[in-house]
Amino acid sequence: MIDTINLKKILSEEKDNNIKQIKNAAHEGLEKSLDSYKEEYKYTPLLRKIEKEFETLTPINEPIQNLDIYSKYVPKNEKYYILVINGKYQENLSNKPKEIQVVKFKDLKDQNKDQFLKTYSKHDDSKKDFFSSSNTINHNECLTFYIDKDTTLKEKISIINIIDSPNPTYFRKCFIIKKHSNISFSEEFINTSTKISFSNSVTELFLDENAKLNYYSVQNMNKNFHYNSINAFQKYNSISNFHTYSFTGEIIRNNLNIKLEDKNCYANMYGFYAIKKNSLIDNHTSVDHIDENSISNEHYKGIIDKGSNGVFNGKIFVRQKAQKTNAFQSNNNILLSDDAKVNTKPQLEIWADDVKCSHGCTVGQLDEDALFYLMSRGISKKDSISLLLSAFSSEITEKIEDENIKEEYEAMILKELEGLNHE
Amino acid sequence: MLEIKNLHASIDDTKILKGLNLNVNAGEVHAIMGPNGSGKSTLASVIAGREDYEVTDGEINFSGNELSDLGPDERAREGIFLAFQYPVEIPGVSTTNFMKTAVNQIRESKGEKPLDAVAFLKLMKEKMKLVNIKQELLSRSINEGFSGGEKKRNEIFQMAMLDPKLSILDETDSGLDIDALKIVSNGVNALRNKDNATVVVTHYQRLLDYIVPDYVHVLMDGRIVKSGDKTLALELEEKGYDWIKVKN
Repeated sequence: MIDTINLKKILSEEKDNNIKQIKNAAHEGLEKSLDSYKEEYKYTPLLRKIEKEFETLTPINEPIQNLDIYSKYVPKNEKYYILVINGKYQENLSNKPKEIQVVKFKDLKDQNKDQFLKTYSKHDDSKKDFFSSSNTINHNECLTFYIDKDTTLKEKISIINIIDSPNPTYFRKCFIIKKHSNISFSEEFINTSTKISFSNSVTELFLDENAKLNYYSVQNMNKNFHYNSINAFQKYNSISNFHTYSFTGEIIRNNLNIKLEDKNCYANMYGFYAIKKNSLIDNHTSVDHIDENSISNEHYKGIIDKGSNGVFNGKIFVRQKAQKTNAFQSNNNILLSDDAKVNTKPQLEIWADDVKCSHGCTVGQLDEDALFYLMSRGISKKDSISLLLSAFSSEITEKIEDENIKEEYEAMILKELEGLNHE
Repeated sequence: MLEIKNLHASIDDTKILKGLNLNVNAGEVHAIMGPNGSGKSTLASVIAGREDYEVTDGEINFSGNELSDLGPDERAREGIFLAFQYPVEIPGVSTTNFMKTAVNQIRESKGEKPLDAVAFLKLMKEKMKLVNIKQELLSRSINEGFSGGEKKRNEIFQMAMLDPKLSILDETDSGLDIDALKIVSNGVNALRNKDNATVVVTHYQRLLDYIVPDYVHVLMDGRIVKSGDKTLALELEEKGYDWIKVKN
């Protein structure tokens, strides 16, 4: 078992009493959080690999000396951006919209602190997942995005997370999106070093009545172990759209958990992965229909290249009270080579009787008939494959409402598809 | 133009073509007829370069080049076109985008400049008229949700766009009602000229009322067993393929 002695030190250093309580509770439950590890990480040996590469789970909490070297990561084409280095918010390298607050927990105003504490660590998967639990203990500051009611922003806010540490790094965020607000975020993680790193990110999102959120993740980080747990909690008539795009990573594990606590909620989860360079990308999602008349839609599609691995596990829960639920889930995979692999498992648990639910998954190869058809018109094999694969992805990208983001992501996918090997 | 000598081809070790000979010159229309399983569609696929089939003996020469080392894309650039019996549905790729890529890759291979958007649209509009196909259909994913007739019209539209030297129509009449058959045949006839050639593969004589062949060949058990002019097709219609089997 990886060194946990240092964890106690981390706990003793925590100054805020509320946070200290939460961290202590996570620490006490740490071992229990491993109970389901065997099943939940059946195809993703994240813990074993991390134990091999790292001596400790504890981060280095030293202040960052020279900020200038990070200015190159400031995105050039984004209006709003938030830069976070090793979990710490860099106000000087960020440009946030004035309409929203982005603050460290300790800088929150007292009245917002209450709201924060109602949200923070309430809906994460600490109890069930060792890595979330470890994040709760080890993270140094929770960055809080406070979006007041009736806030609508046209441009998305781009969050750039920089990983630059020989030790594991922890990122923790909490989004409080109040009534009738409409907001979009994108998030990516960049490993600055050529050495292997481990980043652990836990995010909680609270959507109040009639709030709407678009959340984009792009994951392309060669030598990195990455754990990413996103936990959304939705109130009446709120809408969430999650878009997850993954390409490379030593091991990437995504947990996306959505709780539809009220009536009339709407949640969409769209994912696309083109896994290459011997990467392993694991998407575990769950959507929990607690009250009636909500809709959830999930569609993940992926292409797995030579030597790479994909994992998909989608759970839908429909509670007894959640009548008139519509819940759909689908996962489609193309394997490009004999030694590409995917493990996919859709799961449904329904207690209500008046619901419409469907789930399914497919694993196949590139359609040889379609390939021949395209080539028989004079299109080269390479371009025919690109056409087919980008067509495969288009069912996911077309779900992006914003035309600019859609174009940007389509171009990104096209570029990533070029590097694939088809046998 | 097309010269096939002693062609043997098999799929998964099953021999399908067993010594087939065929010569097609520019300006000619040839019909290949034969019962189910005689190898008609295999012949069409082998000429187009489908990799599932293995050519075990013989050769295919096209405009003086041996085709065996060329992939389907290279053959298309040489001027071979296959109108599919079952056109493939490809979700997510529009026919317009597909044709633009194809036309420009073929142009590029000939050292010509790619067509810009305006020139391409003009070409497309012109060819759409030929088979009475609507732009709306071409903006949709290739063949997805198309009716049988729409799929075949789309094939002939693509043929018109690519302006091939040799067109092979594989069972183009299957699944067509009489109106669609007329539209498709008119399209094919409008594209005929002294420099190109057409090979029509079909079960029935019906299509040959509309696309009138110069030569008719009967393919049985992987070989051409009888050749003649268009009257052979009529005779076959009347007497059935057993007539030839008995004679042989």
